[in-house]
Amino acid sequence: MMWAVGLSLTNYDMVSTPHFIGLENYRSLLADHVFRATLLNTLIYIGGCTVLITLTGLGLALVINLGIPGSRYCMMAMFLTNLMPVIAVCLVWKYLLHPLGPIAQLLRPFGVGRVDWITNSATAMPAIIVVTVWRFAPYFMIVFLAGLLAIPKDYYEAAQVDGANALWRFWHITIPLLAPTIFFVVVVAALLSARIFLMPYIITGGGPGNATRVLSMLIYDTGFSYLKMGRASAISVVLFAIMMAFTLLQMRLFTHSERAGA
Amino acid sequence: MMMDRVVRRWRTWLGLMALCALTLAFIFPILWMTLSSFQAGDKMFDLTASWIPREWHFENYPNALGRARFPLYFLNSAVISIVVTASNTLFCVLAGYGLAKFRFPGDRYVLLIILSTLMLPIEVTLVPTFLIVHQFDWVNTYQGVAAPFLVDAFGIFLIRQSMISIPIDYIEAARMDGAGELRILWRIIVPQCRPAIAVLTIFSFRESWDQFIWPLTVVADDDMRTYPLGLVIFNEDYGTPPTEQMAIAVLATIPVFLIFLSLQRAINKGFGLSGLK
Repeated sequence: MMWAVGLSLTNYDMVSTPHFIGLENYRSLLADHVFRATLLNTLIYIGGCTVLITLTGLGLALVINLGIPGSRYCMMAMFLTNLMPVIAVCLVWKYLLHPLGPIAQLLRPFGVGRVDWITNSATAMPAIIVVTVWRFAPYFMIVFLAGLLAIPKDYYEAAQVDGANALWRFWHITIPLLAPTIFFVVVVAALLSARIFLMPYIITGGGPGNATRVLSMLIYDTGFSYLKMGRASAISVVLFAIMMAFTLLQMRLFTHSERAGA
Repeated sequence: MMMDRVVRRWRTWLGLMALCALTLAFIFPILWMTLSSFQAGDKMFDLTASWIPREWHFENYPNALGRARFPLYFLNSAVISIVVTASNTLFCVLAGYGLAKFRFPGDRYVLLIILSTLMLPIEVTLVPTFLIVHQFDWVNTYQGVAAPFLVDAFGIFLIRQSMISIPIDYIEAARMDGAGELRILWRIIVPQCRPAIAVLTIFSFRESWDQFIWPLTVVADDDMRTYPLGLVIFNEDYGTPPTEQMAIAVLATIPVFLIFLSLQRAINKGFGLSGLK
């Protein structure tokens, strides 16, 4: 990483020897509208994915935790979405979202006309976010389930004896006791979505225009299509800074739980 | 009393229906992928076609495998993933043991350094990693594709956490009996951490089986391509029917599912779900 920071101050192109150019890479990045759009996309993507993954994961875990017979098998089936190779996920969803694909077929009886999910700049990013949530929510469902199972049953029984209704129990027992898990899920989901590459690369190719281009794609293109290693390193440093913010949060959490456990 | 039972029964039914709907929504893409891989080429994007193929086109599979060098690509992916998974499991168990059960000056800092450096994903370190591999002259080689993934910081952390709760008495008793450290690790520690190791195994296999951006960067030679790269080239080539891509996608999904099923019991425990009905 130190090397990347160093490289980001040069104009290395893998052919000539690198020259020190100071903060020039960063200055030209800030002036570049593609970079600015990409940075904004990445932040929107991280935000959207993190919120939706957390909510969906928690919702699924709560449904499974009702203890309905067969829920174990449903859980395993849902977890399969997390095991499928990403490339398969991307290709399947690309075809599912095709204007003549199955999703269009499903929506047609409801009077939804032709929607070009992937090639319309208003729907492309939400589409990618939905695919990401589909892939990762079941994993976090399992993390949440483990957290839910660790809550002692007595608390609920005591509350029930006191006549507390389900909503009250959820808000005053489940949420506070699940707080560390929720925090963990938020941080990990944010880190996962910060590094996404393949989904926009395959499903939309970063388009339409630059509507779904994210930082990791820009690093790859700048470094390996245009061989601007210095500039690519500067973008890496930006992505690194975003992830570092979440990693610091995460470490705080780890050292915190360590102390609590000791 | 009567009322209560009726309400409860209704709740169970409603819950069951919600559960089935959710499960179906999540596995629908997987089912559709499988069905489409047997579909006739022109039926996939037809708003009136049924999802269950009227005629089953089993020949999609041999056709897809023959169209590009997919057997070779799968072999490349398999070699790399097996090496990465084995090395990851081995090193994470060793490092996890060291960090969980040995006290040495600065041990906490070693853990922090490992976490903060190795946790950086390849997307961030793409450029420097490529330049290192380039200097080793490992571009277009197996060692080049596998090298960045041989040890995973998250794995070390996972294993350390699972070992830390094993009572030190076991280890000391074994040491008293004259057992070497590796023997202790293998005979006493590993059997107790099997769930965590199973979780590590499935995730590191999936991770390397999925790896895309790194092979894309470091592989230029057709002989060294992994199957995801093969699929993308397939994808860019408009002449190939999507049904055959789905066939390759199904083939790529099978190994991960099989590993999951074979480790499933231990994985459930590893996630802390043993109390689940």
